[in-house]
Amino acid sequence: MSSSKRKAPQPKVVFEGVSKTFKKKGEPLEVLSAIDLTVDEGEFVCLLGPSGCGKSTLLNIAGGFERPTRGSVKIDGAEIVAPSSKRVFVFQEYGIFPWASVWDNVVLGIRHKSKAEQHRIVGEVIELVGLEGFERAYPMELSGGMKQRVEVARALAVEPDVLFMDEPFGALDSLTRLTLRTELLRIWNERKPTILFVTHDVDEAMQLAERIVVFSARPGRIAEIVSVDMPHPRDIGGVEYGNIKNRLYELLGVTHMI
Amino acid sequence: MIVSILALVASAAVLFYAKRMSAHVQEWALPVCVAAGLIALWDIACIVSGSEVFPSPLDTVYAFRELIESQRLWGDVAASLFRVTWGFLLAAGIGIPLGLVVGWSTRTFRALNPIIQGLRPISPIAWIPIAILWFGIGDGAGVFLIFLSSFFPITVGTMAAVRNISLVHQRSALNFGVRRFELFRRVVLPAALPQIITSLRIALGVAWLVIVAAEMVGMDTGLGYLINDARNAGSRYDLVVATMILIGLIGILLDFLIRRLEVFDEVRWGYTQR
Ligand SMILES: Nc1ncnc2c1ncn2[C@@H]1O[C@H](COP(=O)(O)OP(=O)(O)OP(=O)(O)O)[C@@H](O)[C@H]1O
Ligand SMILES: [Mg+2]
Repeated sequence: MSSSKRKAPQPKVVFEGVSKTFKKKGEPLEVLSAIDLTVDEGEFVCLLGPSGCGKSTLLNIAGGFERPTRGSVKIDGAEIVAPSSKRVFVFQEYGIFPWASVWDNVVLGIRHKSKAEQHRIVGEVIELVGLEGFERAYPMELSGGMKQRVEVARALAVEPDVLFMDEPFGALDSLTRLTLRTELLRIWNERKPTILFVTHDVDEAMQLAERIVVFSARPGRIAEIVSVDMPHPRDIGGVEYGNIKNRLYELLGVTHMI
Repeated sequence: MIVSILALVASAAVLFYAKRMSAHVQEWALPVCVAAGLIALWDIACIVSGSEVFPSPLDTVYAFRELIESQRLWGDVAASLFRVTWGFLLAAGIGIPLGLVVGWSTRTFRALNPIIQGLRPISPIAWIPIAILWFGIGDGAGVFLIFLSSFFPITVGTMAAVRNISLVHQRSALNFGVRRFELFRRVVLPAALPQIITSLRIALGVAWLVIVAAEMVGMDTGLGYLINDARNAGSRYDLVVATMILIGLIGILLDFLIRRLEVFDEVRWGYTQR
């Protein structure tokens, strides 16, 4: 159903048989087992799973920070072997530089462009994330939510075609999280990057994703891929929402009725 | 005697009622009272023990005046500061770049860390004979000894700082294509800077301790030599104590100056979030 809305979806990020085994004190620890997944261009996909199931590891492999033990990840048909600023990571912990001002952080990925270009782009993304007036501030002077906006702005400045987001709002309070989700959706609608978004929050996945990839506990496998075929803004009190949510909890092996 | 006892009682009284004072008043009143109390105790102890040699606070004040009036004091202060300044700058100039490289490159770390760790525990004082052998009695040996005593804290501190750079920051840099020299300038150095400044502060403290000892043993100018000279020339313990106090004051001043480095926006994060 969801594919009927997009015209001829192009595969963007393709995982083929990705497995990852870490050595832990000499013992091999299988974290990911044969992951096959295709994410289309401009798609918003959430990776949902219990803590420790290998979501971050999978994202790190896709970002080029780690190599799979077996299998491969291809973006636009080319295998990923190293990070690139065409595909930007938004980290689980704060990845912005505390020693640089908001402006200097955001300009990082476009530092080779002309000063005029830098001004135009930084102004644009700072407005996009709602941080006007804080260009000269240092991260230590910002709230957690604002720091995460800086990180998002830094990522958007390079106009990446893929955004990897590893629990970007995990450290924030629930109100700020909700606001930032709305803003992320707005930005996604405006620019249509492909987004792989890791979370272990069922509601977050439901509010954001077009498709939710549910992982089983370690070694991480794909338990099921759930489509959320609801247009935005989504009615989070409705029957359809409730049904999908129940299904997700079931897949994660918990009931949400306490 | 009476004055001292009164001072002691007064400062005890002030300390006793301290909790009624505002935080702002406590800020200066408490340390002043403690200092006044200690000086009073010192004075009382001198009188009670009847020591002929050990100076009372007042003797020390006179000795201070004598030192300042005699032209040699400034020469000795300048000699000590000269050795510390050049030895310290030389150590920072070599130690920081070396620490950055050794901390960043695993191969260089493997090669150099054992020798650095092996030389580090040797007290700079133990180097004095060799320093004199190589540089003779004078500034050369002093600068060399201060270089040694600052070099290891600075190098090891910088190395540790670089090895502590968070993986997330390294990956951010990698993600945006920051490499080689730019990586040092944009990530490695700024990430390590707060800890580098802390190691500079430690090194300068050590340098100021070592220079006095070195001058007492193997030099013929400087504040350390002044202490030795005062004792040898007729047990002038009043001059000894006055010089000790001066050494302490200069040490505080040096620390105050180097702490100015901690207030810059680029490094402030390193002291508040830890
Ligand atoms: N570099 C590493 N070396 C050894 N083991 C690792 C390494 N990185 C991750 N692991 C292990 O792999 C497993 C999966 O880690 P990962 O960070 O991918 O989990 P996650 O799904 O992101 O969890 P969370 O939701 O808590 O962030 C964990 O058990 C972890 O201990
Ligand atoms: Mg994770």
